[in-house]
Amino acid sequence: MVAAKKTKKTHESINNRLALVMKSGKYTLGYKTVLKSLRNSKGKLIIIANNCPPLRKSEIEYYAMLCKVGVHHYNGNNVDLGTACGKYFRVCCLGIINPGDSDIINSVPGDH
Amino acid sequence: MVKFLKPNKAVIVLQGRYAGRKAVIVKSFDEGTRDRPYGHCLVAGIKKYPSKVIRKDSAKKTAKKSRVKCFVKLVNHQHLMPTRYTLDVDLKDVVSVDALQTKDKKVAACKATKERFEERFKTGKNRWFFTKLRF
Repeated sequence: MVAAKKTKKTHESINNRLALVMKSGKYTLGYKTVLKSLRNSKGKLIIIANNCPPLRKSEIEYYAMLCKVGVHHYNGNNVDLGTACGKYFRVCCLGIINPGDSDIINSVPGDH
Repeated sequence: MVKFLKPNKAVIVLQGRYAGRKAVIVKSFDEGTRDRPYGHCLVAGIKKYPSKVIRKDSAKKTAKKSRVKCFVKLVNHQHLMPTRYTLDVDLKDVVSVDALQTKDKKVAACKATKERFEERFKTGKNRWFFTKLRF
């Protein structure tokens, strides 16, 4: 019971932080651009939706492992992640390049 | 945040005639050049892997089985899959972009990388690099 409550609160805080990044920071949405941001080492945090195909998820995780960049598995599917970004389309993976005013990079990758 | 498409990194070529082959990055052009305005790498890879050598083989047979056929190519970053492996074989003096201009320079570069790869294979190190990727 307590664990469920805790995940709900941290989930909302991730959404808040993500909204702040959308407003003030730089990000890329989508698999191709996320890989590009990892290749030229611009990405600082990667967020993957939970219904991402497992091959694609493991590929992004492998790139992130080579890059030593954190990966956060978002608690929601690509529809929810798109909504959390304030977009009207589905987002399966997104990369944060510049967090702006948000502290998402320091606070989130604790759970990987 | 750490760049990983650096020289001596082992990669797998994903597209083109050499799809599925393992290669090593010799030089990486992250910003691109005038002719190729995208990030790309000069890679040297294995066209034909050496066969499995067993203890029973005669010296002539092991020599024949240990032959490696190489290729040298400029590949877009998008068409490479980086791996966690590295292969430190010094190819910088042998393989360069102007070696790709004419056919005989390219052949000479491939011959030189073939020698280096074969001597590395014979020492038994970097075994992963010289085994064929099964898919």
